[in-house]
Amino acid sequence: MKPYDAIVIGGGHNGLVCAAYLARAGRRVLVLERRERVGGAAFSEQVFPGFTFTVYSYVVSLLRPEIIRDLELPRHGLHVLPLESTLTPLANGDHLAQWSDHDQNRRALARHSPRDAEAYDEFGRTLHQMARAVKPLLGMVPPDPASLAPGDLAGLARLARHFRGMGRGVFHALHKLLTMSAADYLDEWFESEALKGTKSASGIIGTLLGPRSPGTAYVLLHHYMGELDGVFRAWGFAKGGNGSVSAAIAAAARALGAEIRTGTPVARVLVESGRATGVALESGEEIRAGRVVSSADPRRTFLELVGEAHLPGELVEAVRRFRFRGASAKVNLALDALPDFTCLPGPGAHLRGAISISPSVEYLERAYDQAKYGEFSRRPYMDIVIPSMIDPSMAPPGKHVASIFAQYAPYRLNGGWTDARREALGDAVIDTLAEYAPNLKSIILHRQVVTPADIERDVGLSEGSIFQGELSLQQLFSVRPAPGWSKYRTPVEGLYMCGAGTHPGGGVMGAPGRLAALTMLGARR
Amino acid sequence: MSGATVVIGADADALVAAHYLARAGRRALVVDEREAPDAPALEPGWIPPRVVRDLALERHGLVVHAPDPWAAAPLPDGGRLELARDLARSAASTARASRRAAHRRPQFCGRMARLARVLELLYAGPPPDPLARAPGELARMAGLAWRVRRLGRRAIEDLLRVLPMPAADLLDDWFESDELKGLLGLGGVMHLAQGPRSGGTAFALLHGHVGSPPGVFRPPRSNLVEVLARLPGIEVRRGARVARITVRARRAAGIVLATGEEIAADCVVSGIDPRRTLLELVDPAWLDPELVRAVRNVRARGVVARATLLLDREPGFSALTLAPSLDDLERAHDDAKYGRVPQRPALEAHAVDEAADAAGRRRVDVHVQYAPHALAEGAWDSARRAALGDQVVALLAAHLPGGAAAVVERSVRTPLDLEAARGWPQGQMHHAELALDQALWMRPVPALAQYRTPIRALYLGGPATHPGGGIAGAAGANAAREIIRDARRGRL
Ligand SMILES: Cc1cc2nc3c(=O)[nH]c(=O)nc-3n(C[C@H](O)[C@H](O)[C@H](O)COP(=O)(O)OP(=O)(O)OC[C@H]3O[C@@H](n4cnc5c(N)ncnc54)[C@H](O)[C@@H]3O)c2cc1C
Repeated sequence: MKPYDAIVIGGGHNGLVCAAYLARAGRRVLVLERRERVGGAAFSEQVFPGFTFTVYSYVVSLLRPEIIRDLELPRHGLHVLPLESTLTPLANGDHLAQWSDHDQNRRALARHSPRDAEAYDEFGRTLHQMARAVKPLLGMVPPDPASLAPGDLAGLARLARHFRGMGRGVFHALHKLLTMSAADYLDEWFESEALKGTKSASGIIGTLLGPRSPGTAYVLLHHYMGELDGVFRAWGFAKGGNGSVSAAIAAAARALGAEIRTGTPVARVLVESGRATGVALESGEEIRAGRVVSSADPRRTFLELVGEAHLPGELVEAVRRFRFRGASAKVNLALDALPDFTCLPGPGAHLRGAISISPSVEYLERAYDQAKYGEFSRRPYMDIVIPSMIDPSMAPPGKHVASIFAQYAPYRLNGGWTDARREALGDAVIDTLAEYAPNLKSIILHRQVVTPADIERDVGLSEGSIFQGELSLQQLFSVRPAPGWSKYRTPVEGLYMCGAGTHPGGGVMGAPGRLAALTMLGARR
Repeated sequence: MSGATVVIGADADALVAAHYLARAGRRALVVDEREAPDAPALEPGWIPPRVVRDLALERHGLVVHAPDPWAAAPLPDGGRLELARDLARSAASTARASRRAAHRRPQFCGRMARLARVLELLYAGPPPDPLARAPGELARMAGLAWRVRRLGRRAIEDLLRVLPMPAADLLDDWFESDELKGLLGLGGVMHLAQGPRSGGTAFALLHGHVGSPPGVFRPPRSNLVEVLARLPGIEVRRGARVARITVRARRAAGIVLATGEEIAADCVVSGIDPRRTLLELVDPAWLDPELVRAVRNVRARGVVARATLLLDREPGFSALTLAPSLDDLERAHDDAKYGRVPQRPALEAHAVDEAADAAGRRRVDVHVQYAPHALAEGAWDSARRAALGDQVVALLAAHLPGGAAAVVERSVRTPLDLEAARGWPQGQMHHAELALDQALWMRPVPALAQYRTPIRALYLGGPATHPGGGIAGAAGANAAREIIRDARRGRL
């Protein structure tokens, strides 16, 4: 049989995207996934009979439209349903609602602050502009600023032209966004605590930083990026949960000729005289290929699968310094009925959107304070969706599922994560949420609590970092995952990287997988 | 060249600007609302050698105090971690704190020194303007880029990675010793309303390193302000409160004092903060609303109190830092961010060399961080000021010979006091916090970064402009050079 052109380690959505693009260019590709099913952190599972959880990631917004087009994902089952509101319940029984409908949104904001309602459109326009300015960077392979190679110099020149071409206003606004804290940035725009709290929450997702720490404003933008291709905060919910995003990409890859083997953990990348020649499985089997591309995170790829012996000391040092610090947890609930929020009793449109426990910036900052010193937040930030309201097939008739993303739950918990601490975290989440939805405890049929330690063990994400490494300025673009190695290549010839640990980073976006594949195709001799 | 310039404020940058303008042949009048210079004998800040040379400061009595060891911190075993200015000499002491630290420090110091060198290059002139189209500016940027490139791959990579980092992450990458990290970490948050785990504090650490030898992460202290004030060539009028900057036909035409006295000038340079300058002294109607908004949003949060102690004996140190670990610093900041005086503020004490009086008593200046400008409950008053003094003495007592009894007199200045006495907005010494979003071409806001304002002949030249506080006189010198350039080109 013809040998494989490429082996993709890991069948997370990025590995699958990479495989699909390689297959589409006629390469013979094999994907090796450690777990029994593909998807990585974009994974749905019937954890309790009849109840499907979108176990880890739960909303889609960043998925690149060119990938949806190129791989014809809708034809392979991708169906994204819009989430049209964000509800922020407040302790005093009031609430803040944000709606995708412009006028409805304006009225809702004006109730809290006419000034904020006024500023909101301008804020939206500014972020939209910023997202437009950053978007081309998401689609480009980051050049190496220290290199004198013609390709890098051309890349740098292109970058310089891009920045210089965006105009003063945009350039300076972008500088601010990259270097400010979400809290300070929002203070320049708004006065309503609930609005600032909820907006700044996008800035802390996946990082062990508080909303007052510089650098968080960028993460806010990262999460705004999806807005471009749709309407307001075009977060959507994939029918069937995020596992169906992976399933659609896997189907596309298979249709293009890629082979996918699950339940097949890779033990090692085979390196012969500085060149990757294939992989050794944990079973002992060796499979050869012209190229190997890893979608596992940088720490796993370099320190476990390749091994220090094959790597320059500086890269090893850089990978050791790369910050993971998982801080996010998930609580997935099977519910007998709908939660009833004090601020908006009964069922309603608000339950089809996101619900955010982020009453103020200070609330989030205090949640962070505890995590800084190794405790989980007693009153965490939460982002909740009720998938069964959007896609009834997720739960038996009349029943529901809820997906609760909670922060902060630091990977390095004092004393380490144990079963008891996992349940204590689950209790803290439920207790806090029950303050806003008092019927909650009585309607829970089952619950699944996922800590960063669980994420690390189940999905393989080091320290449970949801983005395969923090999205902080010092870990982005030309320095992601390591200075000098931002171009999907590695010091081992024939070995590439394609996971969220590479540019442009985490989220169910697919961009790293696509850019890695394009790099590999371009680099073919 | 002739013409009269009025310079508002008699702090280091403003005075340097005045002297440069005087040397270029302009008449320079410095007005300051304070009756007498308030500065303590020694203020921290590295003075660029060019300023020292141009103004012949050494000949006029400049005393630069660079203590050796430049820093010391108590160790849990009772000894002290002492950092000598000479790296090799401090190796033994560092080894007491941590053998690994002693081993890694030279490499760390070398790499940081190279980064500080890049900042020094950037600080020597007006901020680069990445969007400039003028050939001269493009050439300057190309020159800078070339010089940075020549420093090699490592330095470029460090530059990208280190500047946006939290100081805590940077230090954790290199060291294990809590005392060493606490001491260096305080350098990353000096005068900043941030804890060491906040992004961008590594930049602040480097900012404080500029101009110092490798391994020395605190600027020297000097009597610069005093020297500049008595240096001939300019006129300094004290007790003169500026009420208004006169603007005629979009052009600054002088100032009006609170007494009603008008002073005409064909150029006005403000060394006080941009908010007061543009929103109080100038009629904001002259300004674009966008600019007004940007100036209102300049962050200047005071977080520092100062204490002065008089001791009846030798203090037993030249410099002493009490910031036992990064966590201690961070916790102190946690308190302050919610408007509370921390239980254990970080302290940095400097002993003044000469005896303070005939009785031979010794003075110790103490930097106290964090002391929030606005308290969550109540406001600063004499009781709270005294309580802070008690805290400072109690914290220092264990490290003074004779304990608290050695302190015979003390005075404390809260951020509110510093605001009143020094004109620091909210008690913020740098007038605008030194954060990455308020540095270089963003300082204090992009539209004012080149020292010019939308009002012709009105310039900013205080620490809120590039390169900012801590680099004494550089902003003033840069501003003066821009003014002289404008004058030459007939654009003043
Ligand atoms: C709790 C949580 C919530 C999130 N919420 C959202 C969200 O709502 N929206 C969003 O856009 N993003 C979200 N994210 C982030 C997003 O899911 C991830 O960034 C993204 O899925 C990463 O994809 P990836 O393909 O790069 O890596 P992964 O999904 O980590 O895939 C890597 C794959 O490699 C496999 N693997 C590892 N080692 C080996 C080996 N030795 N041999 C074989 N296979 C191996 C793993 O099993 C895994 O399947 C969330 C993440 C988490 C954890």
